[in-house]
Amino acid sequence: MKIFFEKSLIYSVIAVYLFITVAPLVWVLSTSFKPNQEAISFPPKFLPNHPTLENYLFVMTDSKLVLSLVNSLTVSVGSTVLSVTVSALGGYAFARYDFKGKNLMMSTILALFMIPVVINIIPLYIMLNNVGLLNSLVALVLTFQILIIPLNIFLLKNYFESLPKELEEAALIDGCSKIGALIRVTIPMSLPGFLIAAILSFRFSWNEFVLPVVLSNKPDSMIFQVALYQFISLYRIDWGYLTAGINIAIIPVVVLMLIFQKKMIRGLTLGAVRG
Amino acid sequence: MLERRTQRIQPYLLLVPSLLILTVFLLFPLLWNVYLSVHNVSLSTILRDWKYVGPNNYLSLLTDPGFHSSLKVSILFVGGSVTLQFFLGLVLAVVLNQQIRGSNTLRALFIIPWTVSAVITGFSFKFIFNDSFGILNYGLEQMGLNPVSWLSDPSMVLWTIVIANMWHGTPFTMLFLTAGLFSISPVVYEAALIDGATKTKSFFHITLPMLKPFILINLILITMWSVNFFDLILVMTNGGPLFASTTASLYMYRQAFEFGLLSKGSVVGLFLIGVNLVLAYSYLKLFRKDGTEVEVARV
Repeated sequence: MKIFFEKSLIYSVIAVYLFITVAPLVWVLSTSFKPNQEAISFPPKFLPNHPTLENYLFVMTDSKLVLSLVNSLTVSVGSTVLSVTVSALGGYAFARYDFKGKNLMMSTILALFMIPVVINIIPLYIMLNNVGLLNSLVALVLTFQILIIPLNIFLLKNYFESLPKELEEAALIDGCSKIGALIRVTIPMSLPGFLIAAILSFRFSWNEFVLPVVLSNKPDSMIFQVALYQFISLYRIDWGYLTAGINIAIIPVVVLMLIFQKKMIRGLTLGAVRG
Repeated sequence: MLERRTQRIQPYLLLVPSLLILTVFLLFPLLWNVYLSVHNVSLSTILRDWKYVGPNNYLSLLTDPGFHSSLKVSILFVGGSVTLQFFLGLVLAVVLNQQIRGSNTLRALFIIPWTVSAVITGFSFKFIFNDSFGILNYGLEQMGLNPVSWLSDPSMVLWTIVIANMWHGTPFTMLFLTAGLFSISPVVYEAALIDGATKTKSFFHITLPMLKPFILINLILITMWSVNFFDLILVMTNGGPLFASTTASLYMYRQAFEFGLLSKGSVVGLFLIGVNLVLAYSYLKLFRKDGTEVEVARV
């Protein structure tokens, strides 16, 4: 009896929150298949009366939006590659070497992670403006690093530490240089760790809005999140088009997360706290 | 000999790229804020000489009623967001950890809102909470209740945003605390069970104490994120109606990029850094006093 009560409590909590989680997504999905007029008709219809793909066609053929999608992809891939590379080097230094100032450096990097990037947008704006990098994709790739590098260094340092040192040592004895051992032994073993870091980096870059809305809001270098935000400045928001845009923006990250969800939790367990 | 020396500088070489990027784009701008805050820099004078104005920007902020009201809004927003996200996240993490069929699939579904950007969350909830054609008010009407002015009532708007933020932020706490729960060995629970501890007892005497380091870091992170968060609000209300949903961080953004007062924005930014530090420090103190040894930056 008690177990039955407990089970039903657990399942009702899950059911309620599942509804809260999924309902908004389903509603936006359903709206994206409605013609613009129907999208804001009252009373709302749960399913589209005249299902249509015109909203998606609009987004995928509007040259400004398509360009911003390409920009988003370029920036996200670029900053993911840069941050995983740079953080892997740093993380490896922390995991495998003893050197002066190591603890201080690690604490500083972690403290930097807690500093809100928002506070930096004003100086960054002036800085990039003065060197002529405002409104460029390069500026975004570089500034996005401050969101990701500290976390990635931390994750990868812990990942390297969880790998057995002996294999590397064996390679060293066999005549590999330290860098050679890194390339032939450590990197292949670390690929799962790189994958977690890469997914997190991609998620941060793809979704970032504050930096790009300030640093890069001209049509040529606009990314998708900012382009969606521009819908608001129109006199009336076209909810049909907007919801289609939302779904297009959601798809890549959700797919990545769903595929690698289990690995992510394991990565966080390793990376987050080892108290 | 040469080998030895290269060995010694290798770790520094490996760290150069990341430290360089962090210094140029994070540390330097951070300190530069101080310089900006005592000069008069606006969007229109961005390239010309900046006049030194001493503490004027600070003084004008102190007497600015807009800033005062933004502080009140921030306290409510941060308090509401952190409380909701933390307790819901904890409940979900614990519930999903109870040997439930399909718990992995459920976790994957629950994480989705966190993978969605704040802008998208903002738009989706702006649509759902719309006063005239939103589905939520339609639902209330169908149940015979009065519709609510979710986004246009100044006393309601902030809570509407907190709800949207809950949807967006709770999964992170759930994920983070799940990682914490995974790190507790099941043997501990078995031993407690043998000793006759009930489930409630083991929750309070085993789960919570062992989760403490995770809870601490989680609280620090979500509190700071809430203090600094404004993209969601920008999309949903742009701080309105009037200033009812303008938090301190949004106030900073609007002063700088809507009114062009970059220096004034910098002062608010510095103030926010202070708030973040004080909050992080208080959490650490609070948890230390509790008798837990927590080392955040253990290497």
